[in-house]
Amino acid sequence: MAFVATLAGFFVPGTAGEAREIVITDDLGRVVAFPAKVERVISLEPEITRIIVALGAGERLVGIDFFLRHHDHLFSVLFPRSKSLPVVSNQGQELNYELALRLRPDVIFSSPSEFRMTESIERKMRRPVAALASMGKFDVLLREIELLGRIFGREERAAELDAFFRGRMEALRAAAPDAGGRGKPSVYLSFWGSLIRTPVAYEPVDAAGGRNLAAGLLPSQLGAAGTTVPVEQILIWDPDVILVQGNYPPGERSVTVEGILGDPRFSSLRAVRDKRVHYTFGFWYWWDPALVLVETLYLARLFDPGRFPDFDLAEEGDRIFKTFYGTEGAFSALCRTLKCHEWIAN
Amino acid sequence: MSGSRTRRTTSLLFILAAVLPIVLLAVSLNMGAYPVPLKAVWTTVHDALVPGRPAAEASPYADILFRIRLPRLLLALFAGAALAVSGASLQAIFKNPLVFEFSLGISYGAAFGAALSLVFLGRGMPAQVSAFFFAILAVLLVLLIAGRSSSQIISVLLSGIIVSALFQALLSLVEFFANPYALQALIFWLMGSLAHATWSDLSLTLPVIGLGVVILILLRWRMNVLSLGEDEARSVGVNVRQEKILIIVVATLTTAAATSVTGVINWIGLIVPHLVRMMVGADNRKVIPLSASFGACLLLVADDIARTAASFEIPIGILTSVVGIPFFIILLKRSGKVWL
Amino acid sequence: MKVQVRALTFSYGLFTLRVPEQDFGEAGITAIVGPNGAGKSTFLKCAASVLPVSRGAVLVGGRDMAGLSARARARLAGYVPQEPSFTFNYQVLDFVLTGRAAFIPAFSSPSRRDIEIAEESLCFVGLEGFSRRLFLELSSGERRLVLIARTLAQQPAVLLLDEPTTFLDPRHEVGMMELLRRLAREKQKTVIVTLHDLDMAVKYADDMVFMKGGAVIASGPPRDVLSEPLLKAVYDIDMGIVRTNGRLVIVR
Repeated sequence: MAFVATLAGFFVPGTAGEAREIVITDDLGRVVAFPAKVERVISLEPEITRIIVALGAGERLVGIDFFLRHHDHLFSVLFPRSKSLPVVSNQGQELNYELALRLRPDVIFSSPSEFRMTESIERKMRRPVAALASMGKFDVLLREIELLGRIFGREERAAELDAFFRGRMEALRAAAPDAGGRGKPSVYLSFWGSLIRTPVAYEPVDAAGGRNLAAGLLPSQLGAAGTTVPVEQILIWDPDVILVQGNYPPGERSVTVEGILGDPRFSSLRAVRDKRVHYTFGFWYWWDPALVLVETLYLARLFDPGRFPDFDLAEEGDRIFKTFYGTEGAFSALCRTLKCHEWIAN
Repeated sequence: MSGSRTRRTTSLLFILAAVLPIVLLAVSLNMGAYPVPLKAVWTTVHDALVPGRPAAEASPYADILFRIRLPRLLLALFAGAALAVSGASLQAIFKNPLVFEFSLGISYGAAFGAALSLVFLGRGMPAQVSAFFFAILAVLLVLLIAGRSSSQIISVLLSGIIVSALFQALLSLVEFFANPYALQALIFWLMGSLAHATWSDLSLTLPVIGLGVVILILLRWRMNVLSLGEDEARSVGVNVRQEKILIIVVATLTTAAATSVTGVINWIGLIVPHLVRMMVGADNRKVIPLSASFGACLLLVADDIARTAASFEIPIGILTSVVGIPFFIILLKRSGKVWL
Repeated sequence: MKVQVRALTFSYGLFTLRVPEQDFGEAGITAIVGPNGAGKSTFLKCAASVLPVSRGAVLVGGRDMAGLSARARARLAGYVPQEPSFTFNYQVLDFVLTGRAAFIPAFSSPSRRDIEIAEESLCFVGLEGFSRRLFLELSSGERRLVLIARTLAQQPAVLLLDEPTTFLDPRHEVGMMELLRRLAREKQKTVIVTLHDLDMAVKYADDMVFMKGGAVIASGPPRDVLSEPLLKAVYDIDMGIVRTNGRLVIVR
């Protein structure tokens, strides 16, 4: 059921201290061998693209995917050079093969939710294609960072990011509520524009000291990250907190906090009565590692405001983004587009 | 078969048709993820119908039953009736047993209209309006393309396929231009689901469907006449153009109203009328009302399965397709069969 | 009821039908005869207003058919096609009932009286007991009788039938013509038929209308209008008229 990336790196003895081929099994269970030198990269998976930029290997990107150019408000701030890169995919995430071939990539990264696309790319391009995405899990995300560090020869930088990430998470866990205290709040997540679609795994909630009610349920499709629950199930769970994916510009949201608070079907819910219905960033088929951290901090404060009283999330966010991408004020820029200032400052 | 025996079977079927939806409704009210004890269902319903109990003792299950389950069950009944009756009516006046809302492009026309509204107009305008408009447009296109030979089986079927394909393509176009956020919701909606039934949606939909179904039932004998074909119907004294248009508009309105809320649920308009004809013959005085009832029951049962069989919601369009497609194939093979 | 045709023209493709004046006698049978392509069926359909005609072209009982609604027309004239088009497999009685459409309001169903009339019509054409049979299970001849029964249920004053005897064996052919005669005599209907069989026409028709090339060549009672030169002119072959057993018979 789960597509778990397992790493099996081994060294091919070549010219002294130089060429090291890396072989992995990607998230679709395919065995992929990366060449020794990776200078030109196409990534169709925005998560991987972000990590590459964070690792400082952004100049090796030769093409950018449709989503990042047209719908990602933040990326041009994080990586201004991206504005001059050619767009190699279309709305449906399909690769423009001829353009891609012209760009002569050494390696292509795709999204595991598009199996046929990945196979097709491999057959037509005859280059290594790896499908990687973390789908809500931290350890997978960190493994991606480490792997990409090795592929691009930026192991030190990868280790730096890894340490930073783990450090913040540890600090959070140390301060997280104990079992003896008020206990972990139960959380229902409404993601992807629908009241009844919820992710079966979302670690920021756990790391922040909460409990995802849908954790461990069967996803509604094999390999998907989420499931669809009947409305009654939400009433049965009676969550302490309801989180709505707010990673949309406000005009495009179909599920809103106000909507839930005003919905007569939910008037009996604890979360509605206590007004503990909030937005959060959430994820799509991809995730931004810096945003993950920010969100976990945000959620930690949301679940237990007592523990983190003086805490400017916007400032922290900017600091985290700067550590990852070296850009000033990136998080604030994101917040301006999503209007998240309204909800992150509790 | 002796005359009295068929009459008895028919009477029995009519009684069943009147009673079954109510029985199924009562049964379905008890089904759902949230465990509600049988007795509690009875008390809650009783309190709702016979007020008098002080508010403090109000049943905690009222929300579940009346805000979540009941709207969904009613939507299933009404939408099922709408699709079945529309399918039966269109089959009669197009003299074509293979016609139903899908093959005339109504389904995808309505879906495209609703998608357009959802994606570009947001929650401002109820999707029903746009859905209806494009459903009618789809049917007009079918009639236009089929031309004057609209009474021939192949012509209408082919035109229906073309128009359906057209609107599916337009739908893809909407998806193409939709931002990925709206797209998610849209794709999900298109799979067909009764999960989103709320009273505010139903306040417009149910009356429209109810009216449409009633009108079509009243016109049931007229459909016998119209099914003779344009020339013969006219010579028998019927204003063919007027009445045909009336039935098409009403059938389309009813289907569009249902589809704009539920998404695309196929095959009910095909399966149910044929099943009914197999039982009682082709006389529309029997076929139309019985189709309404059995269509309602069928969709209700399918939805019960969709929401209780697994821990996640099975998209209902998949259930009706899985049943409907083999049925369609069998029908095609036997289309010379006497009961048509 | 009298049927009067005045200045009727109808064309489709390269063919034009032109009938400046023609009357059809009441309570009798008029047979329209002529070679293939003469326009017999077209003329019949125009007279029945199944094909659209201009104002003043066809008058039934003095009323202009073109100015009437379909319902009013149906009560005046009933048209029986040669074969019914594809239909669902209704029971015979339900099929005949559709003939009552002009008397039943749009949102209603047939009343008991309507059903009685339908059953009477079935009896008249000799199909008593066929009520519950399924239409598509009947023989071709029986189907035609059901069609006539349907038109009878319509209770029009005028019946127009297109080639009612085609493909019938001799016995059923005679039966059909006897039925038409009864319709004219007993029910006082004006019956207009197109026939390809001259002998039948001569034997049963009160009036005959000879057509060729979209025009009426001659018309009148058979004994008055029938002549060998006329037959030659209409059919382009030599035919003889023989008197035998007190009847006129056409010999080719």
